[in-house]
Amino acid sequence: MRDRAATRALVLGLLALWFGIFAPFAIWSGFRSWRRIRASDGELKGAASAVAGLLAGLIGLATMVIGAVYWLTA
Amino acid sequence: MIRRIALELLILAVAVLTYPGAVLTSLATRVIPAPAASPGPSGALAWLHVAHPAGGRPFIADDQGRLVLLHGAIPASLLEFGPGTAPVYPLDTAAYADRMCPANSAASRYPPLCQDDLDAMARLGFNSIRLPLSWSLLEPERGKFNASYLDRVAQIVDWARELRMYVIVDMHQNAYSHYVGAGDSTVDLSYDSGAPKWATITDGLPSHVVDKQRELNAAVLEATTNFWYDRGGIQDEYLSTLAFVARRFRDDPVVAGYSIYNEPLPGWSLPPGFEDLLLFPFYRRAIDAITGAHDGLPCWSGILMPAVCGYRDLGVDDRRHLIFLDAGLLRQVTDFPTHLGMPVSSYPNVVLSIHAYTHIFTLDNLLPQLVSKSSYPWGGYDQSYSLAEREARAMDAALFVAEFGNAPSDDSTILSAQVLEQEKHLTGFEFWPWKENGSGWGVYNPPASTSDSSGCLRASRERLLARVYPRATADLTASFHYDSTDGGFTMRGHGRPGDPATVVYVPPEVTGQVSVDDGVRAVLSQETDGSRLILASPSGGDFVIAVAPTPLALAGC
Repeated sequence: MRDRAATRALVLGLLALWFGIFAPFAIWSGFRSWRRIRASDGELKGAASAVAGLLAGLIGLATMVIGAVYWLTA
Repeated sequence: MIRRIALELLILAVAVLTYPGAVLTSLATRVIPAPAASPGPSGALAWLHVAHPAGGRPFIADDQGRLVLLHGAIPASLLEFGPGTAPVYPLDTAAYADRMCPANSAASRYPPLCQDDLDAMARLGFNSIRLPLSWSLLEPERGKFNASYLDRVAQIVDWARELRMYVIVDMHQNAYSHYVGAGDSTVDLSYDSGAPKWATITDGLPSHVVDKQRELNAAVLEATTNFWYDRGGIQDEYLSTLAFVARRFRDDPVVAGYSIYNEPLPGWSLPPGFEDLLLFPFYRRAIDAITGAHDGLPCWSGILMPAVCGYRDLGVDDRRHLIFLDAGLLRQVTDFPTHLGMPVSSYPNVVLSIHAYTHIFTLDNLLPQLVSKSSYPWGGYDQSYSLAEREARAMDAALFVAEFGNAPSDDSTILSAQVLEQEKHLTGFEFWPWKENGSGWGVYNPPASTSDSSGCLRASRERLLARVYPRATADLTASFHYDSTDGGFTMRGHGRPGDPATVVYVPPEVTGQVSVDDGVRAVLSQETDGSRLILASPSGGDFVIAVAPTPLALAGC
């Protein structure tokens, strides 16, 4: 069975690359899904999507932070 | 495992094509060496550049490093508006030789631009003009450029040279193009200008204007979107056109620089993605094309180029002129930054242009409110300027008000507030428009008959625009104030012995006595047009330059 949060994390992660505001939600969703999938002993699927969503969220968050810090310190 | 790697590669690819790639490309311009500039040939005027003081806001500077303030107006008669498909006034320079001037035409919303117009601008103390051009006239057929149009521009540049005025060449557009389609009765193509017919791709969408806003037209939005997405390589053609213009004036310091794209409309895209992923990367590519800067990654052209893409050197190698970058149109509507505010290019001579239309095109104007009781902008007139200062600093660009204007009935509120903000923020301006037929916003009244190019000079405009102001100063912390009600002027600054002189312009309308304190040694130059120039050389420490209040000698009506 596929963990639905994994797909959600992937979608949120892709959105976070355009709109940084989605990044925290992608990270939260991706991390929780990944933990759940690991703890399920193979019962839950979707680890690739969860990790990809998590990665995209982290990239989106880093971009947002870099942009904000640059703006505030310029 | 393969699925996981594929997804991660997908994420990385999307990241490169979206904000992460755009931000990294912008930040990379801070570490890429700026393209080397060589001193240009000397001319009637000093070459302008953007100075970048450590810890301070970049500013437009002359060859002595002084902050330069440009004041000017925008004559619009070189633009091609609809519904016709040919310019109303002749492009042949012979029609304007020896101070000749073609007859005004009711077919144009603007009178012809003639040499006497530049004289009149100079008499108001303007030291620059912003000269809007139409892409439809520059490249009427794909790949075929119109040299006679540039001859006409060069003629105006020569007139400006005689008067020691700078020219900002402006690649203009309004609602993308007058070739978007006549559509129904809501469409008035006499307000539209810009792209040639072959570059106006509307995909058959209907031309219908919503709420009398020329930009709120599906055909306009579609054609604009197709431009930003480089459909059929039309953006590449635009860059070639820009290079065609820049090549002509490469060695001419009278041309202060180029405005790449007027009031960029996002089309169907939304901010901030439009500005950060389409508009400013387009600006970077334009700068790459004409300066030879190599910002951004080498990419394909002819179809959509992502934000990380740079552009090939088009062989102009113009590394001296200023590049004026208009913020997106929605910034003008909100008086609020609609982009991330990242550096655009390693090329140092970048100027952020804002169009200041507070209470005219800002959101509050959608509501029936008095200007004095407007609910927006919350920060009043200063909101746009204070935020623009921050944006310019973040972009490592100078700040300039490339366009502002208002109905004459709003001069005592809007115009007087705008010029005070410009003083406060040490920015120059270009007033829209210089002259206009019909009941418009021109500096002059409309002509009483079609044979005249204008009526009389509007006294309220003369009072507020013919100002005492420092044209150049070495003191970046200087402050000044001109009181347009009584002609009084005070400038306070600080200087060291040997600093270049501060030059203060006093228009003929202002007749008050000039005084300075011991901080400067001043020479007063009486000019033939009745204006005065104060050349104040610092002798060390704080200084004050003042003009005593005296009733203004207005010539207008």
